[in-house]
Amino acid sequence: MKIKHIAAYCLGLFLLGSVASHADTMVTPPDGFGKRPLTMIVPFGSGGGSDQLARAMAKAMGEVAGLDFQVVNKPGGGGTSAIPDFMLAPADGYTVLEHIDNAISAYAAGDISENPAVDWIPLCMTQITFSQIYIRGDEDRFTDWASFEAHAKANPGAVSMANLGKIGSMELVVMDQLQSALGIEVNQIAFDKPAERYGALIGGHVDVLFEQPGDVRSFLDSGEMKPILTIFGDRPSAFADVPTHKEVGADFEALTRFRGFYVKNGVPDDIVAFLSEACAAGFNTDDYQEFNRSKYMHLIDSFRDTEGSIALINDAVKTYQDMYKILGIGN
Amino acid sequence: MEHFITGTWMLFGDLEALFIFVLGLLGGMFFGAIPGVNMLTLGAVILPFTISMEPTHAVMLYSVIYCSGVFGGAITAILFNIPGAPENAPTCFDGYPMTVKGMAGKAIGAAVCCSAIGGVCSALLMMSATGPIANWAIRAFGSQEIFALIFFGLAVSASIGSANLWKGWLSVFAGLLLATIGTDPVGGIPRFSEWSILNWEYKSYYLSAGLHFIPMILGFFAVSEVLVQATAISSGTRQRMKASMEFPSIVEFWKVRYTMVRSIFIGFFAGILPGIGATLAAFLGYSQAQKWSSRKANFGKGEMEGVVASETANNAATGAAMIPLLALGLPGGALTAMILGIFQIHGMEPGPLIFMNSNDLVWITFAAMFWANLLIVMLGWIQTKTVVHVLRIPFRYLAPIILLLATVGAYALRNLMIDVWIMFFAGILGYFMRSTGYSPAGIILGLILGNLGESAFSKSMQLMNYDFLGFFSRPISGILLALGGLAIISSIWTEIRTSRSPQSAIKRSDN
Repeated sequence: MKIKHIAAYCLGLFLLGSVASHADTMVTPPDGFGKRPLTMIVPFGSGGGSDQLARAMAKAMGEVAGLDFQVVNKPGGGGTSAIPDFMLAPADGYTVLEHIDNAISAYAAGDISENPAVDWIPLCMTQITFSQIYIRGDEDRFTDWASFEAHAKANPGAVSMANLGKIGSMELVVMDQLQSALGIEVNQIAFDKPAERYGALIGGHVDVLFEQPGDVRSFLDSGEMKPILTIFGDRPSAFADVPTHKEVGADFEALTRFRGFYVKNGVPDDIVAFLSEACAAGFNTDDYQEFNRSKYMHLIDSFRDTEGSIALINDAVKTYQDMYKILGIGN
Repeated sequence: MEHFITGTWMLFGDLEALFIFVLGLLGGMFFGAIPGVNMLTLGAVILPFTISMEPTHAVMLYSVIYCSGVFGGAITAILFNIPGAPENAPTCFDGYPMTVKGMAGKAIGAAVCCSAIGGVCSALLMMSATGPIANWAIRAFGSQEIFALIFFGLAVSASIGSANLWKGWLSVFAGLLLATIGTDPVGGIPRFSEWSILNWEYKSYYLSAGLHFIPMILGFFAVSEVLVQATAISSGTRQRMKASMEFPSIVEFWKVRYTMVRSIFIGFFAGILPGIGATLAAFLGYSQAQKWSSRKANFGKGEMEGVVASETANNAATGAAMIPLLALGLPGGALTAMILGIFQIHGMEPGPLIFMNSNDLVWITFAAMFWANLLIVMLGWIQTKTVVHVLRIPFRYLAPIILLLATVGAYALRNLMIDVWIMFFAGILGYFMRSTGYSPAGIILGLILGNLGESAFSKSMQLMNYDFLGFFSRPISGILLALGGLAIISSIWTEIRTSRSPQSAIKRSDN
């Protein structure tokens, strides 16, 4: 009941934020909370996508709720190295964890024992994005999805794709779904660093790339890469001429990439309510909105409150677990 | 040229830019020169402040830190046998023996001038043809070529810094083995981070990230050096170092001109390949200098040419590493990845369009790197006259400071305590390795190149459908692998011949 109440309040704030300026969305903390700086743990390195998001949100929440954050990077292990320290911190709301959907697939595969929807309380999700498949801008063997599919069918297993390699990752699960739905066979090459994936496509060492648009925006703007397939329910307006996976005949619900903020389970309700309100209000500040636009995170609805986040996580956990059963991954 | 002048004007004509430039230059050098912390620590600490800076200034600041930080790491390598960064490790081999001989000023002088020459040359090459060079590198070098280059680098550098070839290879193999800890680069399968013995199950989220080379370097070099010196002090065998301030003469530099030119090319070439960077450059520069030098036998005993080779190569790699970053948006190492982050924090993306959209930014960065490298000479000259006095501080006071800073440096890397434990463990291991003729530098080389090499190898095999011979169907990778193989065979042959020679027989009977 409490959560519903918070969610309704957040939604109200969200709607209000779209018409009001951020001066009107000041959020007041429960008595005594926020007098000292909060710690925001980022499980990835300085300067990366998660780090930038954490800093942008820390700034926005400072603006709307007067909070002061100290951002601490604890990178490693695909985001798992930061978890023990987060779990050791007291459940007083002073430690916030930024994390991405990797945590959900890691939980579904049994790599981590903490369920992000149960052992942690999501305050909000503020970046949600979809994946696409890209080819080189000057590729002449295929120029769109139809010609690519024909090429892949004519040369089974010979078409190579630069992708993230971790077994059970969102990328590989989606590609498995796509390949079995369309009857194509693509040789997935595991690249651990994003720069290497992009370099491999541009340098002509692989044929296609699996990625999210915000990460390759500069290559899209310069014409070095172009999308041939969007893996999402409907066509985002920025890519109105690119077909979606459903339109080309692959009928599955697409997994998304999402980033959000968590506190540990056990944090007092009033502090959770306050922090999620602050997050919602921070999301609506002009600076944060500008930040999300620069990351192509405005193309689809990129916000979920606590309840919305729990639903998103639970859906994703179910999809991952179903796919892992089929693929024989994890416990 | 006119771009360069405009860039220089923007740098020196704007007080704020100039202030940031000087701050970066001194900061990089300072953090590079303190054992324990390094330019990455500085980069991470000041990252939040760059948000409020102009993007041009922020990117310029980091590129200046990059230049001066790589040089700063040489000072501790020379004075204390503790490299500030992995790319300074080969500088220890001859830099530290020079300090022991009372030639610290000369060694630092050589490092200063060569860092500057390497850096300036690569900045010039960078300014002349960033776009074409980046495009060539990205097309010509796929995973197969990167793997072959790493194999070649290991093959020619394996034995440096150790008592003999076998101990050198064993050290490198130990490093390669340590590199496998964590998760495998293809499927992300845990390796050594979880196991069960009988009914006891062990699982570490920390270890799943693998061992980072920074705590390992701090352990193998800083902690083990403190232990080595402590043993020497307690047994009364420690020699007090003489703090000389003599700068190398022009004649001495002229004698090593070929080594410099060779190292510039090696450094530049290794730098433009994303992910390879300055470490391999320094090791390759050193091993090639040793191979072609007329004073081969003096290497490792305080030969200035060794310092020249590694310092020229690692600074040449810095300018080159900016090429894939600026032209393609592909960072090659940790600091260039931070620079990419700065671009993104300001809503910009480096890449081909940057030359059109942000010409000012590119040229102020180029100009700043050029001038930073030149100014290293001046600052380095002052440092030669001042920093060597640190040697006058009794080691019993210096040791706890070194250990404290090393602990801070190891922790600051990821804010995880495990890195501090790893550092101390590596320190104790390093102590025993050094006393038995094994090479801590070899372990570090194995650890860094093991990670890069395995990743490149696994990608290559996937791309070639697991046909190993595919490496030889590509000219560059085929030639590099063959050369690496030849280098291994010839080094084994030489080792066997020398150990059977009458001289070594005498040596053995002496023992």
